[in-house]
Amino acid sequence: SSPCLVTLWTLGVVQRGQFHSLHTCSPPALPVGRITALQALEFWKKHFEESGVTEPDLSSHYIVAHSLGGKTIESLEQRKLTEFLSREKTEQIWKLCTKRLSRMPVQYVIQEWDFRDLTLTMRPPVFIPRPETEELVELVLTDLKNKPSSGDTVQTCLEVGCGSGAVSLSLLSSCPQLQVVALDRSQEAVELTKENASRYTVVNKTDLNKHRADEACSRCSPVSVLVSNPPYLFSDDVKTLEPEILRFEDPFALDGGSDGLTVIKQILTVAPKILSDRGGIYLEVDPRHPPLIQQWVEANVAELRYVETRPDINSRSSNKSLLCLPPLYHYPCVNLRRRRGAAVITLLMCDIQAVLGEKKI
Amino acid sequence: MLKCGDMLVSRWLRLRSLCNRVCPHTRREERKGLLWRRTLIGHQFTGTLASSRPCHSDVGDLYQNECIQRYLQQLMQEYRYICQRLELPHISEADRRALIKKHTELLPLADVFTDIEEALKDQQEVSSLLLGSVGAKDEDKQLTELLKEEEAQISCKVLTLRKNLVKALVPIDPLDSSNVLLEVMAGRTTGGDICQQFTREMFDMYRGYAWFKNWDFEVYNYTPAEYGGLHHAAVRIAGIDVYKHLKHEGGTHRVQRIPEVGLSSRMQRIHTGTMTVIVLPQPVELDLHIDPKDLRIDTFRSRGAGGQSVNTTDSAVRVVHLPTGTVAECQQSRSQLQNRDTAMRMLRARLYQSMMGEEIKHRQTVRKQQVGERSQSDRIRTYNFSQDRVTDHRTGHVARDIKEFMRGGGALDNLISDVLENEEKQALLELVENRGNGRDLTNPD
Repeated sequence: SSPCLVTLWTLGVVQRGQFHSLHTCSPPALPVGRITALQALEFWKKHFEESGVTEPDLSSHYIVAHSLGGKTIESLEQRKLTEFLSREKTEQIWKLCTKRLSRMPVQYVIQEWDFRDLTLTMRPPVFIPRPETEELVELVLTDLKNKPSSGDTVQTCLEVGCGSGAVSLSLLSSCPQLQVVALDRSQEAVELTKENASRYTVVNKTDLNKHRADEACSRCSPVSVLVSNPPYLFSDDVKTLEPEILRFEDPFALDGGSDGLTVIKQILTVAPKILSDRGGIYLEVDPRHPPLIQQWVEANVAELRYVETRPDINSRSSNKSLLCLPPLYHYPCVNLRRRRGAAVITLLMCDIQAVLGEKKI
Repeated sequence: MLKCGDMLVSRWLRLRSLCNRVCPHTRREERKGLLWRRTLIGHQFTGTLASSRPCHSDVGDLYQNECIQRYLQQLMQEYRYICQRLELPHISEADRRALIKKHTELLPLADVFTDIEEALKDQQEVSSLLLGSVGAKDEDKQLTELLKEEEAQISCKVLTLRKNLVKALVPIDPLDSSNVLLEVMAGRTTGGDICQQFTREMFDMYRGYAWFKNWDFEVYNYTPAEYGGLHHAAVRIAGIDVYKHLKHEGGTHRVQRIPEVGLSSRMQRIHTGTMTVIVLPQPVELDLHIDPKDLRIDTFRSRGAGGQSVNTTDSAVRVVHLPTGTVAECQQSRSQLQNRDTAMRMLRARLYQSMMGEEIKHRQTVRKQQVGERSQSDRIRTYNFSQDRVTDHRTGHVARDIKEFMRGGGALDNLISDVLENEEKQALLELVENRGNGRDLTNPD
């Protein structure tokens, strides 16, 4: 009787293998005598520092806390930190920290992370959700709540590029009556989304078979909300990313082409065909993007109306004019809506494969 | 604990029923003995007890207090008067409504009062029967036993009823059901390490207590000190009657122990340290508008690029309310949004405190009282590790087995109930005396 429905499609070919470049630092030997968790923390913090691993402090904290069954060091009992670690635990900590030494992100090392109120499994190379995206979800939820569903029709949401499922699952956990369709080009991502969905038992229908894009599209349209955290980095910037991202995360989830707009444009092209009459699009984009998107939409997609750009909290300030601060420092969510009264295009045979990144980026 | 207390009460009553007259004075003495057994209170408080108020006896004992009796009689008179008035045919609708309101307020009290009177009548009957059976023949002995049994039961009932009655009289603190923001802070007095270690232990104790009471315990801020100590922590505790139980925990707590390491450890020298507990009620409905424009939210991300181009595990958030300079920080969750929500809730609680005018000003005085001069003089409780003993200075309640006590289970709950009962009594006596009638009366005790 559960009202929610998640349908998952997978499309496209999986690219794998190139993410784990074997970068081996000689791992430090296990301690000879018995040590406490606090000593392990200190040791690894120093070692990370010396090896140039970013966030040495937090990294050792999260890994040790995870090994002791907690999420943060603060949530652990003092006793657990001052007790001697068992040989097993010490070995586990050493194993995990050695992984971190290869610059593997902490989220992959401990294989889970929190997104809003959910704890999700994380696995390379599926993109690790960033805090800004929590804001994107907040934005969609606020709008969904302010806009009462028209009559008895169920509201449908399409997420393009679901990754670990963070956005879709958050939406579902807050709005159980929502119908969510989550798409990703990568098989790993869809599988991880399914896995995470079963963690919160929100899935009562999963479909992991490969579908034709148009079929997928017709099954979910019309959608009231199209949400996406598409790859939006400029190709030039991708090269300068930290090894945590560059070596471990799926480049298809990051690289948005020379202007970072490749996938965004694809989504916006398809959107009018699948959006319901008063549907909206919510995208997380690069700070340089909003004016570009606005211009491009006005010139190319008559059915869409650019609504607004909201900065994420990290750039929120006491002064409104500060919104135009060096844009590098805020990651806005773009909100587009279907123009009211615009002609409904009945073409359902849309090129959603483009949206899913089949076109070469 | 209540059960155990009741059991002792009834046992004591069985003994008690051998005497026919209850002399208030001897009764008090016996009660004291009882309490000693129940709470392991030392003998030291017997002397101070002779002063004005009974400061550490059962709530039911207050029933004997003349001021209370007078107050009670007044209320009953008022109740009877209202009943009479309500029966009159010619009163206005407004009057009737006011009377009915007052009537429903007094009804539970009146019910208990009638119950007591009936129970007392029963008791008298049984007593006179007992008196008559004194010196009776052997075959009546069984009957005498039965009568004694019954008398004991009735006395027990009377006592419970009186307790209920007095409890019904105690003024209710409207904030009792509130959730609280509890802060623990290491003292800056001598022996910093000791203070910080103790603060950590106190934090764990309240966490244990929240678990014991089935309350939610949500950490808002946690600033650890070196060697596993704790500088400051703020938590939100939510559940049933949290403020009621924790409001008297605010204040300076003192610790006495021999440090685990260092010279003092080798010399077996006892160190003294303090920590402060601050308990602020968090009203359920916060009717407080905060303009987002007045907030500055600091995160790791605000220091540089973010989005897909950065992967950080730093989820700490600091919220600053610019007009007041109030700051709240949180780094408890791995989710930045959750940390921000928590920090916002903390900020709201703090702003609420400072914005609600007179009442809050008063409560801030309470906070100040709780924080005190952060010296060792106005402590409310001492934790003496070397003597394995916890003493509450307001009631004289002593608990042994400090390790068990610091688990925050039944032992702490006993002490808190004790303090609460004591405070309730003080509040009631204050109320009665402030009504003016009690003022000129010499205290019967």
